[in-house]
Amino acid sequence: MRKLYIILLLVSLSFVANAQLDRSKMPEAGPAPEIRFGDAESFTLTNGLKVFVIQNSKLPRVTYSLILDRDPILEGDKSGMLGFVGDMMTAGTKNRSKDQFNEEVDFLGARVSASSTSISASTLTKHQEKVLELMADVLFNPVFPEDELQKLKTQAKSGIAAAKSDPSTISSILTSKLVYGTDHPYGENETEETIDNITVSDIKTYYDTYYRPNIAYLAIVGDVTLDQAKKLVEKHFSKWENKDVPKHEYKKPQVPEKNMVALVDRPSAQQSVVELTYPIENHLPSPDYLASQVAGYILGGGGSSRLFMNLREDKGYTYGAYARIGSNSLVASFTANASVRGTATDSAVHEMIHEIRNMKDNGVTQEELDAAKANLSGSFGRSLESPATIANFAINIERYGLAKDYYATYLQRLNALTVEDVNAAAKKFLKPENMYITVVGNGSVVSEGMMAYGEINRFNTVGDPERVIAMDADMTAEKVLEKYFQALGGIDKVKAVKTAIIEANAEVQGMKLGMNFYHDENKEAFSNKVLMGGNVMSNTIIKDGKASVVAMGQTQQLPEEQYEEAKLSMYIFPELHFESLGYSLKLDGIKEVEGKNAYKLVVTASSGSSSDFFFGVDSGLKLKMESPTSGEVLYSEYKEVDGVKYPMLMTISNPMIPVPLEAKVENVAFNVSIEDNQFN
Amino acid sequence: MRKTTLSILLGLLITCSVFAQNKIEFKEFKLDNGLHVILHQDQTTPIVATTVLYHVGSKNEDPERTGFAHFFEHLMFEGSEYIPRGKFFEIVESAGGTLNAGTNQDYTVYYEILPSNKLELSLYLESERMLHAKVDQTGVDTQREVIKQEMKQVMDEQPYGSFQREIPVRLYPNHPYNWPIIGSAEHLDNAKLEEFMEFYDMYYVPNNATLSIAGDIDYAETEALIRKYFSDIPAGKKEFKRPNIEIEKLSTQLEDIVYDNIQLPAIFQGYLMPKKNHPDTYALSLLSTYLLSGKSSIMYRELVDQQQKAVQAVAFPNDLEDGGMFLVLAIANMGVDVDELNASIDEVLESVKSNGIAEKDLQKLINIKETQLVNGFGSVASIAQSLAQGHVFYGSADYVNTQLDKYREVTAADIKRVANEYLNKESRVVLKYLPKPSDATE
Repeated sequence: MRKLYIILLLVSLSFVANAQLDRSKMPEAGPAPEIRFGDAESFTLTNGLKVFVIQNSKLPRVTYSLILDRDPILEGDKSGMLGFVGDMMTAGTKNRSKDQFNEEVDFLGARVSASSTSISASTLTKHQEKVLELMADVLFNPVFPEDELQKLKTQAKSGIAAAKSDPSTISSILTSKLVYGTDHPYGENETEETIDNITVSDIKTYYDTYYRPNIAYLAIVGDVTLDQAKKLVEKHFSKWENKDVPKHEYKKPQVPEKNMVALVDRPSAQQSVVELTYPIENHLPSPDYLASQVAGYILGGGGSSRLFMNLREDKGYTYGAYARIGSNSLVASFTANASVRGTATDSAVHEMIHEIRNMKDNGVTQEELDAAKANLSGSFGRSLESPATIANFAINIERYGLAKDYYATYLQRLNALTVEDVNAAAKKFLKPENMYITVVGNGSVVSEGMMAYGEINRFNTVGDPERVIAMDADMTAEKVLEKYFQALGGIDKVKAVKTAIIEANAEVQGMKLGMNFYHDENKEAFSNKVLMGGNVMSNTIIKDGKASVVAMGQTQQLPEEQYEEAKLSMYIFPELHFESLGYSLKLDGIKEVEGKNAYKLVVTASSGSSSDFFFGVDSGLKLKMESPTSGEVLYSEYKEVDGVKYPMLMTISNPMIPVPLEAKVENVAFNVSIEDNQFN
Repeated sequence: MRKTTLSILLGLLITCSVFAQNKIEFKEFKLDNGLHVILHQDQTTPIVATTVLYHVGSKNEDPERTGFAHFFEHLMFEGSEYIPRGKFFEIVESAGGTLNAGTNQDYTVYYEILPSNKLELSLYLESERMLHAKVDQTGVDTQREVIKQEMKQVMDEQPYGSFQREIPVRLYPNHPYNWPIIGSAEHLDNAKLEEFMEFYDMYYVPNNATLSIAGDIDYAETEALIRKYFSDIPAGKKEFKRPNIEIEKLSTQLEDIVYDNIQLPAIFQGYLMPKKNHPDTYALSLLSTYLLSGKSSIMYRELVDQQQKAVQAVAFPNDLEDGGMFLVLAIANMGVDVDELNASIDEVLESVKSNGIAEKDLQKLINIKETQLVNGFGSVASIAQSLAQGHVFYGSADYVNTQLDKYREVTAADIKRVANEYLNKESRVVLKYLPKPSDATE
């Protein structure tokens, strides 16, 4: 108080008036306001469409939401189809082209959108009739144009590509696959192949099957009376024909027997997206649903949760750490997540497991429970500011068979919860020994620390396991090379190639480059010229036991170590010379290269520098070469030249060039004579 | 403070709006210490939103100490003389409330939404941190680490997120708008505790703040409570440092390549806008709606739907006190060349510049704006913020009631004119986002 006193002295006359204020005490709350909310009015059309009307004239606007209540659908090899239904429905009707439709909606300042299970529209009250007519047009008269599907497919594929660089999306695809399994509607994900499989008739069939009034709810919220709503609904929706809709059931996903660590390696990442997750059964009607929400809130629900206080406010590992005990009528999941500093990944996981286990074992305090109750009551109160909330209440009661007074008694039931209730829910729902622990981050930074939580299972950016492929026990490095020479056309033919001229073209950011290679093994000479607009930009030359680079009029000789490595490129088929050069070979299993299985050969020079070569298991051909100094080269489109196969496309990725460079081989000539001046 | 800086920035601008038909009634008064107060009563839901807008943003920072305003957005939650460290969230959340804060180049805003019987609590909390927030070494050290993670999350790891740094640094050669709101990690590392305290003393004072309250309140009772908690806070004595710099227009287009962890290339165009309260901002806002809003908007139709060159495109007039930035951005569809995409954007812009827009299009834009404004008044929190912004940036809280009229005054000819005047190829920034090589083969 002393300090405050001094400050106040410095201020003004208001000091006297405010001398009574004791800032060390927080103010008491006034009497709690009564939280009132009306019921929705409802009626049902003879075709089964159930309608809810919530009149609220605070603002001159109306929202219509039509919702289909169907079982989740497993899309299988057409995954992604459901995502197209809404856009296809709004892509033109029998009465309006797509452009006309969009123009009419936008002109009114309105919004009409659709998905596979809903159509919704919102508008200022003054345009409500017109907008409902537009919405009904989408529902009854969609034409599903083929060209629109093609556009959606292109966009979806771009989306799939973009997702591969977004760590949160990678994490969510991975966790969905792990938690629910790929044979479950919540676990499957779309790929380029499944997108390609989708046809207009799939979408039409879906629409005919599921867009039926007997499984639909229509909520009308806003500045509209029940009478007006009835008239409008009868006018537009009574002709909608009902029909039985198929049901679907799915196997319940199970939690893993013990914690399982999954890693997606993103070598460029500075942060790790960490998630701890597993499937649970929990939904609105469950007797312990409310207790589960309280437990989830205390563990990781906001800015004062245990996870947030520990990982952010105490340790500074992250911008935010959260947890949620989910709920869903089919199957839900528990999830705790944070984006953390890469080097703190294992420590963050340690703290997250600790918090989960601690709450399971030791429960919550009365103080935490009181705070949670107040918070959940508060957010219930705030949600009522939006009139759509009342509509959701009414629909949930119908849809999930909740007690009629489920929401009317919500606050009462919440306030009646005891510490024991919440502890029981924590014991039931928290499973610190049965989690998927997923990390999307830099493998070389996080792997060592993460091994403390079990063996690390590696996954790719679309959540599929990085394949570990079994290899024949009697396979050897030598046999791989033998197979390779065989595939090229036979070792004798390969050995007979002594000189070669290879001309290739590439494009870098709009600039065309020429790349010409001259090999003369008889003279032990090699030259690689890079041309731009007919001028030689650089020339790498090997001859007389030396390697040099000529660029911009300057000649630079490579040091001894680099010569060793460069020498390999002197040969047309360097693999023929591994032995004579004294390189050691090691077969390091089968890896995937561009979707193909390949033997990995680690080739180490006597200097210690090493390169990885990959040879197709099926084709025998060389698919890839990778080394720390020269980056990565992919070989494809092999073609036969004088009985020997040569790759016509080389894709070069290298830290020195911004985007992968595709070198297309235009011309290959073997055993031709090369003039000496090519090597100058 | 948990949202990304950009989404806050976008969010605030969108909620700055007016209710088309009913007038928003409000009361205003000023305390002797300079605190401006705006009250709006709305008894439909028993909640109250309390907002404090400090007229300090990243433009008030020392160029060697960028990120201070945003740093305070974190520090102000650390506690105060009487609020223990780290309890701010807990106090509000356990009172059934929610809270957040946001920072942009011009201002910082803090708010709580609570059940209406907890109004006094929100006044206590806001007055505590205005009077004597906890600015100490422990808080600075912790929040510095948190912010470094925030920087990575929203700027470096977020695809294209670095545009928040890359556009302004080029578009504003001579103005403090040229550094990112979140600032520099190095500057934060170098800053001493005294510097943070000095910044707090200078800007977080009643005469630099607007307290705006909307919700289920009683006017007289609320005013008495405000006087109780805020009158004893001394006015700031230091002169505010407000940059008084005319922004230099670029004399030539700045075009650059940014390599990022992305799969799809993108174009980001940035143009200089007039000052926030310049009459042309209304026409520019309608122009951005014309370019990209619904599916019938010209750029969506051309780039996304018909030519299919982009998967996504956005036009956004980010208006700022000293001159904002008009952003046009598009993410390329797979296999589309980024230069081709840029040329297509330019083609659409050229067509607007030479042909203007039709009267019917103008009517559509006004209709869209009217709906947006009505929807902006769906929550007391957004009403409170709009009132405060009106007072600080447009000279009157009544701005909320006059905004639609300003839009209605815009003519089709105005839109053509501002397109030519501001979307100027010669003085713009164009960034080409390309995938980093390490990701390109993933």
